[in-house]
Amino acid sequence: MNAIAILSIEDEPEVREAIRRDLRPFETKFRIEAAEDVADAREALAQIEDDGDRVGLILADHRLPGETGVDFLTQLHGDGEHAAVRKVLLTGQADQQDTIRAINEGGLHHYVAKPWQAEALVKVVRDELTEYVLRAEDIDPMPYVAVLDGPRLLEKISRGPRID
Amino acid sequence: MHAIKRLATGKNLSLLLALVAFLVPFFIEIPGLSEAGHRLLSIFLLAVILWVSEAIPLFATSASVILLLILFLSDVAGQLDWAWGMAGFPEGMTAPAYTTFFNTLASKVLILFLGGFFLAFGAARFGVDKNLAAIMLKPFGTKPSRVLLGLMLITGILSMWMSNTATTATIMAVVLPIIASLAPDDRFRVGLALGVPFAANIGGMGTPIGTPPNAIVLGALSKVNPETGEIIGRCSFLQWMMFAVPIALILMAVAWVLIVLMFPASKKAIEIDMNVKWVKSRHATIYYVTAIFTILMWITGKLHGINSYVVGMFPVVILLSTGVVSAKQFRGLEWDVLWLVAGGIALGVGVSATGFDTWLVGLIDWNAMSAGVIGIAICVTALLMSTFISNSAATNLLAPIAVAVAGAAGASAVVILAFVALGASMAMALPISTPPNAIAYSAGTFTTKQMVVTGAIVGAVGLIINYLLLGPLLRMAGVL
Repeated sequence: MNAIAILSIEDEPEVREAIRRDLRPFETKFRIEAAEDVADAREALAQIEDDGDRVGLILADHRLPGETGVDFLTQLHGDGEHAAVRKVLLTGQADQQDTIRAINEGGLHHYVAKPWQAEALVKVVRDELTEYVLRAEDIDPMPYVAVLDGPRLLEKISRGPRID
Repeated sequence: MHAIKRLATGKNLSLLLALVAFLVPFFIEIPGLSEAGHRLLSIFLLAVILWVSEAIPLFATSASVILLLILFLSDVAGQLDWAWGMAGFPEGMTAPAYTTFFNTLASKVLILFLGGFFLAFGAARFGVDKNLAAIMLKPFGTKPSRVLLGLMLITGILSMWMSNTATTATIMAVVLPIIASLAPDDRFRVGLALGVPFAANIGGMGTPIGTPPNAIVLGALSKVNPETGEIIGRCSFLQWMMFAVPIALILMAVAWVLIVLMFPASKKAIEIDMNVKWVKSRHATIYYVTAIFTILMWITGKLHGINSYVVGMFPVVILLSTGVVSAKQFRGLEWDVLWLVAGGIALGVGVSATGFDTWLVGLIDWNAMSAGVIGIAICVTALLMSTFISNSAATNLLAPIAVAVAGAAGASAVVILAFVALGASMAMALPISTPPNAIAYSAGTFTTKQMVVTGAIVGAVGLIINYLLLGPLLRMAGVL
């Protein structure tokens, strides 16, 4: 249905569950996928794109079994197709070096430190998805007015192609 | 994915249907209709299906209509003997030059509209719309019903000069935080979200540049009657406002009372946090002066003799020469709207140039009906059609027929066309009826049913108001 997906990557089941719970306000309008590690995330990404949907936001933990979250973001950012995807690190374990790399090479948009407040995470997700919808030229912002930052989306709608 | 496939087949089906509908008149013979009339019917049917289904964009249908009219009904057809060749026209009529149809792309109403686009562009760019909203809302205080009245009035006034769609989006951006500040069970949330699009739809009636249907009927009005060689009717900018603004104001008042009664607020006071910030750059100043000058010139046409179409060119020239509107911004204007309107005007030209109108209205005995009855019938048709399809598309299809009906019934074309334009703007019963409705619906504060009930009542009352007042107001404005 050409939905925008939120992909979270988190290895600990309880934390994964907490993220899912916090993302509930977005459930009605977004496809929400949770991956355990980077390999799993790649699969989820391929599945999403196979279905004709697209990833709008990735919420990645850094320290994961196998490849790290920053590795994944960096690779994704450089592949030419996913530069527009909003990228958020949700971690307590990234050191300064990792974080710098995530910003410079991974195109990181936001850093959320663990432990987080549900409200703060919701705000970050809302802002980043709003940014994604505003920047994409082929997305009609209208379905997202109620869930994302309505006034900012309306600004784009007012300049949009609708004819009276 | 499956939904996309379904949608795609829906579109293809509409395209196929349009093609079939286009071909049918070539293979059947309708008694009393000339060969040219048959071809016009083909183009008309294609236009109906494409404008209703939106299988291709509205403006693409317009462009197709213009091209088809040229290929099948202009002097160009005479060069195509290897294909369909020239059609037989009714006695005394000949194929128009192909330039007649091209010229609709530069119709005077399009220039008028372009002038409106320049004003609307500056209003949005320099935040004039938001500033005016902030200033105008102040005197309404904090009582919820009054705040709603203020919001509806400013929405209505802005949408007389800007597109209904842009106005709704701008004002809804102000309204969303207010809605968020209300308790989830406060019925006033519904009232706020319904009042804004309704006011925008209604406000669009107010001026010739308020919404495309107005331009389309003015375009139809300026068409030359092939029999008399004179244009069908006249209506100046000010005259339009003189009959349309009172109707818009009354209907807005009706909508406001209805909404206040149906969705009363539980909160006693509403605070609106809006700051007035006038941009004072050189460009902004040039824009302010130009906008005021243009609007004054529009409504004082009688004093200086420059008609509103020519005045429409003033903001274009001033804002382009001073660089207030840059090359890039110039390219970004709503040219699609202009082409959409042109298609409707071209179709109207085709309808009368082929005698299709005479044949069509000959099917019914109009003498048995008064102008008021015909007007209200066509107004209801416009209202019903534009409840489901784009107001502009509905007007494009109805305006040529309205002109013909007026001629046959001996009624004034201005009256019947005004009924069409106002009828189209009164359609607001569904979220899909107009983009303003869709925008407000996207805020998720009201149900479709709530919109249907209020929108249908507003539309029905609008019909009554039109029936009672349009004639007298047109006479008062000196149009009749």
